This record gives sequence, structure tokens and C-alpha cells, in this order.
Amino acid sequence: MTQVLAAALLGGLVGLDRTALGQFMVSQPLVAGPLMGWVLGDPLTGLLIGGVLELVWVLDMPIGTFVPADSTVAAVSATAIAVIGSGGTMRMPAVGFSLLLTTVMAPVTMFADHLMRQRNARLPEFAAATTGVTEGRIAAAHLAGLVAFFLKSFVLCLILVPAGIVALTWFLKLPAVAHRAMRLFVTLLPLLGVAVAARKLSVRTLDRYLVIGCAVGAAGVLILSAPVPVAAAVAAVAGWLGGRVHGT
Amino acid sequence: MERESRALRTVDLLGVTWRSFFIQASWSYDRMQSLGFAFAFAPVLRRLYPDRSERAERLVRHMDYFNTQPYLASFILGAAARVEEERARSGDTAADPGELKRTLMAPLGALGDSFFWGSLKPFSAVIAVIMLLAGTWWSPILFLAVYNLAHVGLRAHMVFAGYATRGDVVALLARYNFPGLARLFKVLSLVLAGTIAGTVSAWAPPFHPPVPVNGAVLTAATIALVLVMSHLLRVGGSPVKLMLGLAAICLALAMGGLG
Repeated sequence: MTQVLAAALLGGLVGLDRTALGQFMVSQPLVAGPLMGWVLGDPLTGLLIGGVLELVWVLDMPIGTFVPADSTVAAVSATAIAVIGSGGTMRMPAVGFSLLLTTVMAPVTMFADHLMRQRNARLPEFAAATTGVTEGRIAAAHLAGLVAFFLKSFVLCLILVPAGIVALTWFLKLPAVAHRAMRLFVTLLPLLGVAVAARKLSVRTLDRYLVIGCAVGAAGVLILSAPVPVAAAVAAVAGWLGGRVHGT
Repeated sequence: MERESRALRTVDLLGVTWRSFFIQASWSYDRMQSLGFAFAFAPVLRRLYPDRSERAERLVRHMDYFNTQPYLASFILGAAARVEEERARSGDTAADPGELKRTLMAPLGALGDSFFWGSLKPFSAVIAVIMLLAGTWWSPILFLAVYNLAHVGLRAHMVFAGYATRGDVVALLARYNFPGLARLFKVLSLVLAGTIAGTVSAWAPPFHPPVPVNGAVLTAATIALVLVMSHLLRVGGSPVKLMLGLAAICLALAMGGLG
């Protein structure tokens, strides 16, 4: 129970960074996941979850009135479920199942966000109450929004994490084939992230820059046996030069 | 205090800068950042209007509808502070920063969304994910460093830039060239995203796919899978649906002995 509360508290605090406070990107899955894992004593599980989720949600942009899926709650909850529910064993299957579980809950997190932002519309009325507008009333009304944003993520984690742990306990009793499937699922998720990023960054499926990256990366590691960062650096230079040639 | 002697100090603009980090604390659908703008602007009004009733009247004016990209809101806060200062000093009650705010918030919103959300953020994320797949445990720190070097640096400067230029967006663009940088980061993000798929055979454990095929076959299959998923997203698929589909495919592969 203490671990669940710690997870919900961290979820609430980190969730503030999504919209209400700072937006330093601490709420991004790549950071929020390992942070949660570190608090629960297993940063590697959080790093796995954050890493594979990051590209899937990174281009879901909060533009205008659009509220994207809450990838922070997804990463924090998935990490807490995987760490607490698996007790440190069967990491990969537990990670895969937790990711799947929290991702299908994305519409619920969006709905919670929607409700909270509707309620926030009352705050300006509070600031301009009958006693008149003062700096203090504006600050109180405005900062009350922080409490609302915190509570939204806190309550979501408080519900999702225990429910997820129960579901994970059930999943871990399934035959080994289900576990192998989830292990494969985790390793293929970064590719879904690449597909989502490519879709949102370019109007073409066969974008020339994506193709340059694939070709240079593959040639670098398969033919030259270069380390991944070196292949990436060479691809970036090739892409930059290609962009200059095409005037992009 | 004589009107002519009313002037903002650096400490007031620093106060606005600090409060700008809270500008979205009460974000709502109908007024969006209106309350946040008034909250962040309060140090300016406190300095310029010693009279409480006059200050309250100005606070109400600054609670009008307001919405823009939260980082570039700082530029508008600085510009509005300059106009408000001129108003307070001249006593010209017809002068009002409201028009300036309304003029700037849409173009700066589009500019900031495209640069910060649409290019800098994915660029930082793609770099960090590549490093993670290569086995670097400190990739989250790298992500935060790459992103916030630009974010915090610009945000700290924006209030002062807005104040100094009185909201001159042309001067802002001449100095930072956000559209050009956005294009560059998008190109690099696409190239690096492609590199992630192309280097699958060299991913560090535990990310390396557990399939018994050689590197070239795995790479070809991976690139094909990315292109198919990208196409499905283009014709209306969603990440959640594709994730469920991917899980189903993985189950089928595991049942077939792969994975």
C-alpha cells in the first residue's frame, strides 16, 4: 500500500509538469518512467517503459483545446504496476503487459483531463467574486488549478496501479507463450514509436529523410559494424547535407 | 508617486519571468491562460499602480481571454509590461496592451507550437531514445539537457526581449529564426527515427528483438514493419489500435515459435 501511495504521489507531482507547472519535460515517459522506477527501487524497468513509450506519444501536441493522451500517467502507472506486481521477476513480460494495460486506458486519462479543465473554468469567477479582484484572490484562484491538476494524476494513479497489479498477477499465471509474446511486444514497440514520429513529421510514408536514416543506419551497423551512436551521427550529417542540397 | 516617475525595475521583470512558469496552472477551455496571464503580470501592476482600486481595474483588464504557446507567452508578457509602463507614465487611459496581446498571441502560438512541440521536443526525444537503445542508461538526462538548454535559456530571455522590442516579432524572428530551426530539427528527427529502425540488429539488450534471424533479415523486416505501420497511421489508424494489433501479432509469432 505504501508503494502504491508513493506511486500516486509521484504521478501527481510529475503530472504537474505536463501542463500546469514549468513544462520542463520531466513528465515525458522517458523521464517519468525511470523516476518512478528509481523511487520503487527498480529504475531499469522504468527506463524500459519510458524508452519504448516516448516516441509513441512525443508528437501528441497540446494545441488549442486538444488534450493529448496522458503519457505521464501511462508511464508512471505502467512502471509501478510492473515493479510492484512482478516483485522484480519476469521483468519483460510484466513490462509488456503493464504497457498494454495502461495504454488502453489512455481514453480514460483524456476524459479525466477534460473534466478537470472544464471545472477550471470556474476559477476566474472565484477570482472576481463579489469582494472584488485583488492580487491575492487571483493568485489563490490560479494556484488552486495546481491542486486540481495534481489531484487528477494522483487519483488516476491511485485507481490504475492497484487494478493493474491485480490484472498483472492474473497475467503472470498464463502459459509461457503469453509471456514470450509480451517480451517480443516490448522490443517491437520502439518501431511503433518510429512509425508514429515519421507519420507526424512528414506527409509521405517513404519520406526521403526517413529512408536516408534507415539506409545509413543499416549500412553502418551491418557492413561497418559501427556502434549505434556513430551510425546515427553519420546519418544525421547525411540528412543535413541532403537537406541543404534540396533547400529544406 | 508622480506618474512620470513610475518605471519598471529589473526585479519586476524577473518576478514576471518566475511567474511565467506557472502561466498554465489554471488552464481551462473557455478562458485558457487568462488567469495565468493576470497572475504572471501582477508584479508589473504592483509597481506601476500604487492605488489599489486602479490596480484592481487593471488586473480585471488582464483577465481577458488569452492563449498562446506557454513559453512564448513570456515575450507577450514583456511587451505588455512595456506598453503598460508607458500607459502608467503618460496617464493616457486610451492606451492599452490588450490589442497588442490579441495581435501577438495567435502568431506566437503557431510559431512556438511548431518549434517547441513539433520539432525541438521530438528531436531531443529521438536522440535520447537512440542512446537508450544503444545501452546508455543516462539518456533521460541527455533528453532533459538537450531540451531545456533551449527551453529555459529562451524562456528566461523572452520577457526582457518582449520588453526591449515592445513586442516586435520581426526582431524576434531575425534573432532566433524559429521556422528555419524547426525545419532543421524536423529533418534531423526524421533521419534519426530512420536510424533507429536501421540499426535494430545492434540494439543493446534487453531491447534487441528475440527472434532467431540474421541481422540483414531482421533489419529488412523491421524497416518493412515501420513503413506498414506508418501507412496504417496515415490511413486512419491510431497508436492505441496499432499497439493492440502489434500485441496480437506478437502473440501469433510466439505461438508459431518465433519470439
